[in-house]
Amino acid sequence: MDQTEKLPSKVFAYAMVVVLLLVFIGPIVWFVLLAIRPTATAFSMPPVLFFEPTWDAIRYTFVDPGNNRPQLFNSVIVAAGAVLLNLPFSFPAAYALSRYKIRGRKNIMLWYLGLLMAPPVAFLIPYSILASSVGLKGTYFSMILICQTLTIPFSVWLMRSFIDEVPVEIEEAARVDGASTAAIMLRIVLPLVRPGIIVTSMFAFVFSWNNAAFPLVLANRGTTTLPIGTLQYFGTAGVTWGFIAVAAVAAMIPPMLIFLALDRYVVRGLTFGSVKG
Amino acid sequence: MTLASVPAAPRKRVRRHMPDYVPWLLISPSVILLLALIAFPLLFALKNSFYFWNLQMGPTPLGFVGFDNYKMALQGGFFLGALWNTILLTVVGTAVEFTLGLMIALLLARQLKGMNVARALLIMPTTIAPIVVGFLFRYMYDPGGGLIPWLLTSVGIPIPAQGLLGSSTTALWAVLFADVWQWTPFFAIVLYAGLLSIPDDILEAARLDRTPPLALLWHIKLPLIKKTALIVVMLRFMQLFNTFDLIVVLTKGGPGSSTRTLGYTLYQAGMVDFNIGLSSAMTWMMVIIVNAIIGLFVFFAFRDWD
Repeated sequence: MDQTEKLPSKVFAYAMVVVLLLVFIGPIVWFVLLAIRPTATAFSMPPVLFFEPTWDAIRYTFVDPGNNRPQLFNSVIVAAGAVLLNLPFSFPAAYALSRYKIRGRKNIMLWYLGLLMAPPVAFLIPYSILASSVGLKGTYFSMILICQTLTIPFSVWLMRSFIDEVPVEIEEAARVDGASTAAIMLRIVLPLVRPGIIVTSMFAFVFSWNNAAFPLVLANRGTTTLPIGTLQYFGTAGVTWGFIAVAAVAAMIPPMLIFLALDRYVVRGLTFGSVKG
Repeated sequence: MTLASVPAAPRKRVRRHMPDYVPWLLISPSVILLLALIAFPLLFALKNSFYFWNLQMGPTPLGFVGFDNYKMALQGGFFLGALWNTILLTVVGTAVEFTLGLMIALLLARQLKGMNVARALLIMPTTIAPIVVGFLFRYMYDPGGGLIPWLLTSVGIPIPAQGLLGSSTTALWAVLFADVWQWTPFFAIVLYAGLLSIPDDILEAARLDRTPPLALLWHIKLPLIKKTALIVVMLRFMQLFNTFDLIVVLTKGGPGSSTRTLGYTLYQAGMVDFNIGLSSAMTWMMVIIVNAIIGLFVFFAFRDWD
């Protein structure tokens, strides 16, 4: 197609790409700059593009006193915990839904999908009250557990699409040799779909990492995650934009790196495996 | 599909002998856990929706009030106003994001050199947590020196004195713009994948027929990516319908009630005003609406699936 395109049309296409990158990446760069900007230039009009970078905001938020450092750690605990807890539930389910043509299979899949589209906010107040009444409020476990309403349905969908790609013949040969279902699932299929499980887990990690609703009502001062911790900078005595930017950029980086690393699976991850990119 | 070493007949027999309960054994742990995590809060909310319960007045419900909480929600357009804002945000947002996303997808589908890099970078807004997008746009919208008011005034577009988020005529659109910024790339990337999956010979035949570009898009490309398009529209429509963290950061439903979405209204009633009864009643009203929409979408998107 390349050669048949006329030059002006090509120039126009590239110009559009530049505009798109400015619009969609520009604001992110602008926010990253805010993290290293001298406070005086944060709101100067016209905008100041060049300045002497300052590391004060980074030092304050992550080193001394470093209020956001434990929150970064909390975010990692909650997101990683949510992924690890989800695997023993979602992998067998994904395997069964891929391999067995049981009645109601479609309805179960659609039920999981429905959960992914349910409003998290509808559950927040009950979770908050119920968690306090059983003494779980403020614990990592409460957040990790509630996150399962997202990670399990997501992982079942995405993992199933990977298991579907493993040829079933190998399993049938093993079955003829007398292997049990558990053995087939764990010794044959699991190793074969390991890449798919890693991809699923990484997207599920992003999913839980970016979830703000559950920590908003379940976390306490000590267990709060990075985005919710950042919300506290909008408090009483003026908004400290430098600190917000540093903490927010720190919260942005892991999902961005994961998406760049998983580039060829991004479409599949974003559509829960229903569109193969 | 059959391997030469495994004859068809014994394979069938193996299948028939597999016990029926095995798949259910594998599926049920996840279903039971999820049911527990959903049923408890929903039943708890259902019960609370018939009680007067304000956490500021006591740690337990203060009395059965029948449907009073539902009536209160429906009075004075409290719920319906929020529903209207939500519908506006959802319908306009999904339509704008789909249209812009499709245009970007068509541009990317020309596959000029270097566009792969642009595509990989373009998805970045979508990777960010919505609440963090909220922080970003609070900075960009700041009436005292934010980039967006500055850009608009320098091209001669007037800005309300209270700022874009502070004026009830612009606030909802400002929230919408932040969402469009974050999710247009999502449509672009997924629809691009859809466009790439269109077989070359179809496009080649259309080119030989000299099909005009718009007819090509409307009669050939769009019908061929219909399924992909329906899935992304469905996912995004529901996420937008549930919008609440963006509102928490950007406007808290204000000014007045101009950006109060359904999701934020429940949150505010429960976590800010501590009126658990009212919040629970609205939770159930929202759950019913959401279920109806999901049902419709799923019916159309997955009718002939599997």
